[in-house]
Amino acid sequence: MYEVWLVLNILWEIALGIWPLLLGGIVMWGVLMVTALRRPGARWRAGMPLALTAGAIVAVTAFLLVPGGTRSSLAELSYWVDWANLAAVAVGFGTVAALIAWPLLAMREPSRGT
Amino acid sequence: MISPTNPKCPTAPTAPTAPTAPTADLARRRWLRALALAPAGGFATVTAPSRAATKSSAHIVIVGSGLGGIAVANRLTRLLDGARITIIDRKEEHNYQPGYTLVATGVWPVGKVQDRNIDYQPAGVQWIRDMAVAFEPAENTVVTAGGQRVRYDFLVVATGVHLDYAQIEGMDVSAIGREGLTSVYPSPQAAQATWAAMQDFAARGGEAVMTLPATPLKCAGAPLKMTFMLRDRLHRAGTLDRSKITFESALANVFGVKVVNDNVLARWKTLGIDVAYTHKLVALDIGGRRATFTTPEGERLERPYDFLHVVPPMRAPDALKNSALAWQEGPFAAGGWLEVDKSSLQHRRFPNVFGIGDINGTPRGKTAATVKKSAPVVAHNLVEVIAGRAPDQNFDGYTSCPLITREGSAMLIEFDYEGRLTPTLPMVDPLHDSYFAWLMKYRMLKPAYMAVLKGRV
Repeated sequence: MYEVWLVLNILWEIALGIWPLLLGGIVMWGVLMVTALRRPGARWRAGMPLALTAGAIVAVTAFLLVPGGTRSSLAELSYWVDWANLAAVAVGFGTVAALIAWPLLAMREPSRGT
Repeated sequence: MISPTNPKCPTAPTAPTAPTAPTADLARRRWLRALALAPAGGFATVTAPSRAATKSSAHIVIVGSGLGGIAVANRLTRLLDGARITIIDRKEEHNYQPGYTLVATGVWPVGKVQDRNIDYQPAGVQWIRDMAVAFEPAENTVVTAGGQRVRYDFLVVATGVHLDYAQIEGMDVSAIGREGLTSVYPSPQAAQATWAAMQDFAARGGEAVMTLPATPLKCAGAPLKMTFMLRDRLHRAGTLDRSKITFESALANVFGVKVVNDNVLARWKTLGIDVAYTHKLVALDIGGRRATFTTPEGERLERPYDFLHVVPPMRAPDALKNSALAWQEGPFAAGGWLEVDKSSLQHRRFPNVFGIGDINGTPRGKTAATVKKSAPVVAHNLVEVIAGRAPDQNFDGYTSCPLITREGSAMLIEFDYEGRLTPTLPMVDPLHDSYFAWLMKYRMLKPAYMAVLKGRV
């Protein structure tokens, strides 16, 4: 329980340090979601695979770039804890990207062949 | 000596004196406080069951406003209802000292370790902007440099250590950064100057001498981190082959926990870092770049250097060292450390006095991580004593050292009084250098520190 509380507090303090960026992102995502929900014929189901693909691309990119962005490198990943930790960070980035992409893709007009 | 308040008969709260802060500061404090409290509400499901605040009109004086002092102040304001809390410290700047090694090795800019104390002190606490120059525990009084005599019912000593550079003949703290002289400990500016000197040295290479005194140290890992990182900087600059690093320890080891000591020595052997034991730094010729060491046999050894990292002997500040609160005998008496019970952190002779942080005369544990685990114990036990009960929580001596082995990699070492490795996350191998440990040091531990400072973790 203590470890959970510690991690939540660490995340909270990190969020406090970047709150304008987070607030802007949340507002932008809210606007996107409301716009998409109000749009007649929004294709949520059709947008899902592409949103997941976008999320996967961002996750892979984050996996490759985050070590360098934290003044380390992939070569420093030495055991499973490193890999699991980096994977969790990358999945976090990917999830955010998929959440932003989903309403955008849901609002896409269907292409003429479909 | 003690004047505990009967919780059944609380007296009316005494109105604390408001700190003399500008309006903008107060507004910022309220805003920061609101933000700080938010996770307690948002994540209430993971907090320990809250207990009703103990009613008391006691006056609690906290001497020192570093991590320990402010963390305990924040906790006490939540645990007590009606108590008056006073912090005594002249220092306005709050420094994130665990980040000094990152500044001194070029990983962080200096701004990341500089903040303001006023932003983290709880609302309603009186702040006396002065230094304590005397403790008179028989009179329940602290005397400040300005001559103010501050009486207390309960005292928390959180002064931190005194860096005793004066024990090294010829040492001049203001010369740090010049003539190859470095030291990470005294200030953010010294850490920054140390990085400038390290860059200059790494560009040319030469003879590097790293030192370690025989006294208890705050962040005993810092001298090792500086050594690892200097070697890394030389390697990256391509000047390692024309350089030599020697670690001159005044002790018979380089770290107090044997398994860590052996691990570090094995790494240094591989990295080509030499170690000399029982060599105590006693004198410097800064202009001539020569350091003098003594051995237990009384021999004086003079060493030329191009780069020198000085770790000062450490002791309690004079005010504490010269008071009845200091250990009067035993291994902590020479340094004048605070005589507390190592488990309850209550003073052994003055039960209305507690200690937090580096000042405690306890085995090991002079780090921010120590405060993380001991601040809740001190706050809780103090409230128990105020309520007329005996302290019932014990501190196990937990401390932690994220030991950087090179830029991008570190070991996350945690241990207790007995020197047992006690990883918080069981899957983490403390002796395995890793990216995860580096990421903790580089990005996660300062947020954890801030949560401790606010009294949440």
